[in-house]
This record gives sequence, C-alpha cells and structure tokens, in this order.
Amino acid sequence: MTTPHWSEEQAADDGSDSMVRPYTITRGRTAPERDDLTLITVLTTVQDPADPGGRQSARLQPEHRVILDRCRHPAAVAEVAADLDLPVSVTKILLGDLIAQGLLLARAPLSVARASGGMDIGLLTAVRDGLRRL
Amino acid sequence: MSTTQAAPAAVKILIAGGFGVGKTTLVGSVSEVAPLRTEEYLTRASVGIDDLDGVDEKDTTTVALDFGRITIGTELVVYLFGTPGQERFWFMWNDLVNGALGGIVIADTRRLDSSFASIDFFESRAIPFVVAINCFHGRNTRSPQEIRAALDLDPQVPMLLGDVREREFGRDLLLALVDHLMNLPAPQPVLA
Repeated sequence: MTTPHWSEEQAADDGSDSMVRPYTITRGRTAPERDDLTLITVLTTVQDPADPGGRQSARLQPEHRVILDRCRHPAAVAEVAADLDLPVSVTKILLGDLIAQGLLLARAPLSVARASGGMDIGLLTAVRDGLRRL
Repeated sequence: MSTTQAAPAAVKILIAGGFGVGKTTLVGSVSEVAPLRTEEYLTRASVGIDDLDGVDEKDTTTVALDFGRITIGTELVVYLFGTPGQERFWFMWNDLVNGALGGIVIADTRRLDSSFASIDFFESRAIPFVVAINCFHGRNTRSPQEIRAALDLDPQVPMLLGDVREREFGRDLLLALVDHLMNLPAPQPVLA
C-alpha cells in the first residue's frame, strides 16, 4: 500500500492498518448514495430519534455505532473519518446510512460567496473577532 | 424535548505550498487540536495513468490530508486544511476549494519555485489568498520586494514574513486573509 502524503512534515504512522478491507464495512458499496456530504459537513447524533429501536437495528455495523457515539458532540466528516481511520469515501457511505435512518443530522458548510457584493461581512467579522482571541 | 446538540456552522481555509514547506506546522500552530489526518483513495481515473504504472490493481493508493480546527464560538468553526502543491493532486483541490473562504500559500525563500503551482491554482480559480514567507531557518537574505517580484504577486495580495511554528504568526496570517477578504471588491463572474 503506497501512501504519498499530502502533507509531508509528519512521518507516516502506518502499522495500524485494519485487516478488514474498507469496502467490506460498507457491504460492498463503493459510492455514497448522497453526494452532498463535504469534508466539513457537520454531523450531529440525534439524541431522541423518532424510531429509537433503529439504533439497535441489526443493520448497523460497529463502525456505525462508533460514529453515533462520536457525533454526540458535533463533528465534521473529515474528523469522523480521521477518528475511524477510514478513507473519507468509505466514511461518507456509513454516514449516509445513518442520515437516511434519521439517526444523524447533517449541516452543510456555510455558503461563503454572495451572489453579488463580495463575501458575507457578518461572517467575516465573526471569524476575525474569533481569531483575535487566539 | 430534543436534547440533540446544535451543530455549529463550518467554514474552511486552505493552507497550501510546496513539499515540506511547513503546511502541517502552520495548521498545528493555530489549531486547537493536534493536526488530524484523514485519507482518500486515489483511483486510476483520478490521476495520470503513469502515476500508477506497474501498480497491481489490488493495491490501494491513498493520499493523506492533514487538518485542524479553530472553534470561533458555539455557532462557528473554522477548519484548516493542508493541501498539496503538486499538480497531480489538483483533482482533489476541486473538492477542497468548494466552500473555502480563501487560502494561505507558504513559501520558502530558498526555493520559491515550489510555491508557484499553489499560487497559480488560487489565481486561476479566483480564490483569495495571502502569502506567508516562512523564515524559520533565519537565513532570509532577500527583501520583500525581491520576493514579491520573484513570485510575480499582484500588488494587492498581502505577504507576511515570519515563522510558521509560532502561533502569533499563524494568527496574523489568518487575520490578514480575513482583512483581505473584507477589502475585496465584488467578485467578477467566474466560470465554474
């Protein structure tokens, strides 16, 4: 397995590779059913799903349950993928399952460009004020 | 009564530059968590055929992506993504730039040419950016004017000199980018 890292400053910490082929976890699916999940789509576990029995569904893989635990505090797709140590595309398939079952909520990234007149000044002001506290 | 925690809104800033120039270091200097790493598959269709010549089809090729986060408040989180400068990764940039506020290009005065590809990419996609001249080696003998000329930077693109290992410099870079964004004129229509 070759891993040309995008960011080279850190040594690869390989050796933790799962023995399970990633697409086994997705039951052979290689593409998500939804294409609207981005790296920074924020996910939140629904604490009181309409169908509470859904969480005990036999169709949930262990990875699904890990995601539901992780997203009790909102997390981006990239963060969930990093925590699961799974590729982003595999993670998106699992997330799609949970969203479809009503167990997970997805929030799309903010739209940063306005149709006219430059970027949202309110958003930029909030970011600037936050950065100043760093 | 629902107890589901409200999700914050997310925005993204890209950290670009050549090989080993300090992208992950900068992410780490301002991120509230140690840089995280995630991976994505490279498929044969996604890269030049020659990149995978001789690779057995059963082999899996992945690219790794380092990122960090800054929580602005309960309602807003900024994610910082280190992005590869090499042109062969540009297919992934198209996903990365989607929804990005803007970028920071890190350059090293000893090999400014390694940052040309990143600057070209942001310019060609009309993505606002600032330039960070990383001086951690302490041997920068070129004036800012010389560096600007060598990078062929537009006069309005902010350029800062500093040490990307220092949180203050990282914060100043991010603030310079936000100020730059606030001062931009209304964008011209850009072909998708």
